[in-house]
Amino acid sequence: MGALEAASDGLLAARSADGDSVAFGVLVRRLAPALRAYATRLTGSAADADDADDAVQEALISAWGALPGLEDPAKVRSWLFSIVSRKATDRIRARKPTAELDAERDEDTAEGPEEHAVSSSRLDALAAVLDALPEGQRQCWVLKQMGGFSYEEIAEQLGMSVTTVRGKLARARVSVVREMEAWR
Amino acid sequence: MTNDDDDIGGSGYSLADLSDYLDRGRQPAIPAIDSNPECQAMLASLDRVAGLSRELVARDAAEAPPVDESWVGALLSTIGRELRAGRDIPFAVSDPDTRLTITEGAVRELVRAAGDSVEGVLVGSCSIEGDVTVPGAEVTVALTISIVLSAPVTQLAQTVRDRVRSELLKHTELQVGAIDVTVTDVHLWLAEEDS
Repeated sequence: MGALEAASDGLLAARSADGDSVAFGVLVRRLAPALRAYATRLTGSAADADDADDAVQEALISAWGALPGLEDPAKVRSWLFSIVSRKATDRIRARKPTAELDAERDEDTAEGPEEHAVSSSRLDALAAVLDALPEGQRQCWVLKQMGGFSYEEIAEQLGMSVTTVRGKLARARVSVVREMEAWR
Repeated sequence: MTNDDDDIGGSGYSLADLSDYLDRGRQPAIPAIDSNPECQAMLASLDRVAGLSRELVARDAAEAPPVDESWVGALLSTIGRELRAGRDIPFAVSDPDTRLTITEGAVRELVRAAGDSVEGVLVGSCSIEGDVTVPGAEVTVALTISIVLSAPVTQLAQTVRDRVRSELLKHTELQVGAIDVTVTDVHLWLAEEDS
């Protein structure tokens, strides 16, 4: 690997925007693990394992095309996260009718996950709690807490009203906070 | 949602309100929340699970096996079909039936390589301003660079300018006017390169 390994994300993004695919490769190797981890949480373990991977790949391909329009290359990381979010949520939506059923169930489920997986760490416990959340709640949670998106942005990405997003996040919060009490 | 979540500790604020408050960095301060022990405990819990969520992604990423090179290769070959060639820059030729050009993308590549060849410099963006399609028209080259920490800035920038000018002279017929070099970033030597 060359000297580009030392470059900042922003420099690599600027070069990629100019058409340097080598720089883009360095950026991809650097950020793919985080993007994939994020996409996996978003799609949930019930999803096909390839779903997250495909979403990341699709996102990176469209990112390459859109890079010349990225105003501030230094923000490439959060920009990529937002593209991955969109691709991953598109995939989830395409995964009907399961998603539809989940969405309905989501409305009625006020209480949190009932099965307590045996977890070896706080992080594993959180992973299990998130995974057991109804799909809509989980997506809202991941987009908010891991992706850092606003209610408006989440609503737009998921095709829901801001009120619905608020409601789902509120329920997710109750479950997550309650389930994680034991891991203080 | 239960009533408890709508009115935490009798503060009149719901769990969602507290979460918004946390997102705003607890500004502007709301005394009814700040002085309520149940609200404070809930804020601490919300803060904790939010932090854990970010930590979870970071851990998953750190523990993931290195990215599969064949996956990266497939990705790069897919995007390789969409190169950014930019404008065609003509070469003067004596034969009127022959048109010889070099793409703007290739010129940028030249500029990047010339800049990168200066030790301690990495080129970021590069643009060629002016009408490159008209032979003889003066163009300006603007590039941003990252330099290694504590390197002599002016000296490096001048070396970059000289190398870029000489490479462009060697490989193109562009009338290069100013070469604007802007330092936008610093980077560290890679550990492997120390040896």
